[in-house]
Amino acid sequence: MIFEPIDIEISDLSCERDDRSLFKNLSMTLNSGQILRVAGPNGAGKTTLLRTIAGLFDIQTGTIRMNQSPLTECLQQILYIGHKPQVTKDLTVLDNLKFLTGSDEDHLKRVLSDVGLKGYHDSLVKELSQGQGRRCALARLWCVEAPIWILDEPYTALDVEMVKTLDARITSHATAGGICLFTTHQPPQSLNYTTLELGHVT
Amino acid sequence: MGWRWFHQWGSPRWFYERAGRWQLVCGWLALTLLITGSFWGLALAPVDYQQGNSYRIIYLHVPVAFLAQALYTAMAVCAVVLFVWKMKLADVAMQSIAVMGFAFTALSLVSGAVWGKPTWGTYWVWDARLTSMLILAFLYLGVIGLRAAIQDPDQAGKACGILVLVGVVNLPIIKYSVEWWNTLHQPASLKLTEKPAMPASMWIPLLINILGYYIAAGYLILGSMRAIVLERERRSAWVRELVSHA
Amino acid sequence: MSLERRMFTRELKLIAARPGDILKPIWFLMLVISMVPLALAPDSDLLSEIGSAMIWVATLLALLLNAEHLFQSDFSDGVLEQWLFLDRPLVWLVGLKLITHWLFHVLPLILITPIAGIILSVPTDVLLALLVTLVIATPALTCFSGLGAALTLGSSRSGILGVLVMMPLFVPVVILAAGVLIRAMDGSDTLPLLALLGAFSVVAATFVPIVVSAAIRLNIGGSN
Repeated sequence: MIFEPIDIEISDLSCERDDRSLFKNLSMTLNSGQILRVAGPNGAGKTTLLRTIAGLFDIQTGTIRMNQSPLTECLQQILYIGHKPQVTKDLTVLDNLKFLTGSDEDHLKRVLSDVGLKGYHDSLVKELSQGQGRRCALARLWCVEAPIWILDEPYTALDVEMVKTLDARITSHATAGGICLFTTHQPPQSLNYTTLELGHVT
Repeated sequence: MGWRWFHQWGSPRWFYERAGRWQLVCGWLALTLLITGSFWGLALAPVDYQQGNSYRIIYLHVPVAFLAQALYTAMAVCAVVLFVWKMKLADVAMQSIAVMGFAFTALSLVSGAVWGKPTWGTYWVWDARLTSMLILAFLYLGVIGLRAAIQDPDQAGKACGILVLVGVVNLPIIKYSVEWWNTLHQPASLKLTEKPAMPASMWIPLLINILGYYIAAGYLILGSMRAIVLERERRSAWVRELVSHA
Repeated sequence: MSLERRMFTRELKLIAARPGDILKPIWFLMLVISMVPLALAPDSDLLSEIGSAMIWVATLLALLLNAEHLFQSDFSDGVLEQWLFLDRPLVWLVGLKLITHWLFHVLPLILITPIAGIILSVPTDVLLALLVTLVIATPALTCFSGLGAALTLGSSRSGILGVLVMMPLFVPVVILAAGVLIRAMDGSDTLPLLALLGAFSVVAATFVPIVVSAAIRLNIGGSN
């Protein structure tokens, strides 16, 4: 599928946490097809920036607009995967995804074999390894049709093969006109992205 | 003019400096009023023909009980200011009022019990007013406890604000429960609309003391607000400068 | 499948996965009730007089016990923050959660109270009044305890803080319910008080979910 053209306009975004300025007067525009990696040392405000754009944190100063309207009014356009597990440990892989995506079972089964969780449909998430749990959370990227992806440390605990699968998925999402923002400490090899370096401005 | 005034209230430094001066005024005023009122009430006012001298605890109990209730409302006003105008100073006020409010509630419970022993023959009676005072103490404790449990001061302030606003809905219900039960406790001895049944030589010192305690509460709250402002702004340049001068 | 159905089935599956969540409060209730005659005296006249009040207090405690975790595990798993991206307003989802909580966690507790009543020799008509007050009052109590749970989400060492914070707000409900029980014991008309209790519950159930969602929103905004 192809997404409608979208742009996210961030202007003069500043954030302070515990009296420390994380980023100041950040302005940028993201367009359809863009993949942006937010980089920076620990504590530079990467997660804060992503959560602010995702509407989870209140904007302290500045504005974020999507296609001219405030982003907080378009939260359904966003798929956010944070670094918390994002899945319930006591439910099966399939039940978790059914609740969060609303997709039907056949589609979910296909997706699960794509992300290497074939045969794990009915396993409880707590029985999976950390990497498999992460795969389960990331499986949503194949189910939800949101144009804006905000992924906090999506590569954590993934093996080489899954990293490639994820890279391919992000690339195809961008090709379809989606936007992807992510953070990582290991720069992905097979992905074309621009980088926003945080932590220089204090 | 309005906006400038408003802006100043948002500045912790401005508040810190001003509040120091107000505190001084409040302190002396409260001291004068309390000495006058207490001396008058405790030494000069006539003896009550029913209760003897034990009634004189009203010069402590009544103002403190008034304050205990008024401070919760004040806290709710601060919560509204915090949510509507996002003024951090309102949160500081809420924090210090919660502690003071609890202290005054506890004091009114204790002074009530001390008065209850000679009057009713027991320290504690489950009447409506005592009970609602006790509940009020628990409400204050809840606000203090919630703030203590949440690390981030901004977030703690907002959570407390929500709790206070929900709690203030409970205040009228406290009043209703007074009407519902209606018991041993004497009806309110001083109402603003009615002429009090006490002789003037009894209620004038009471009025002076009420005023004195209110101003004393203002003194205490301003003091603790200043301390909280200093602590929250400890990383800012003006606080560092202040500390290095001291 | 609609989101509402999905939430409902998810809740059922969670209960199947953690049956202790339902059973523990019931267990607690029955234990507390069994302690009453032991602490007091096995005197059936005395027990029948205070029994209904004891059951009320014990149910209240059990209710708070299981409400404490209403949002906690979803919050720490990061599932709760996903609610913001679902195509329903947060208030609606919170309301649904509270309704399912009442159905699956509170109702079983109410249904067990007749047994507690029999143990404490509570007369049948009082027991009936007790059941009615519980059914009418628990929606309000569930909302308030949900608020306690939501407010304390952000603190890692909250423990029973949510309970402590919310308990004072239960006072009017407890007073009204006690009024109903006293009248039921006298055999006088309980309807006006029940109506008041019902009104309180309706008002609470209407407005508290809004406050709960504000509290959740606040705590999501503060977590890293």
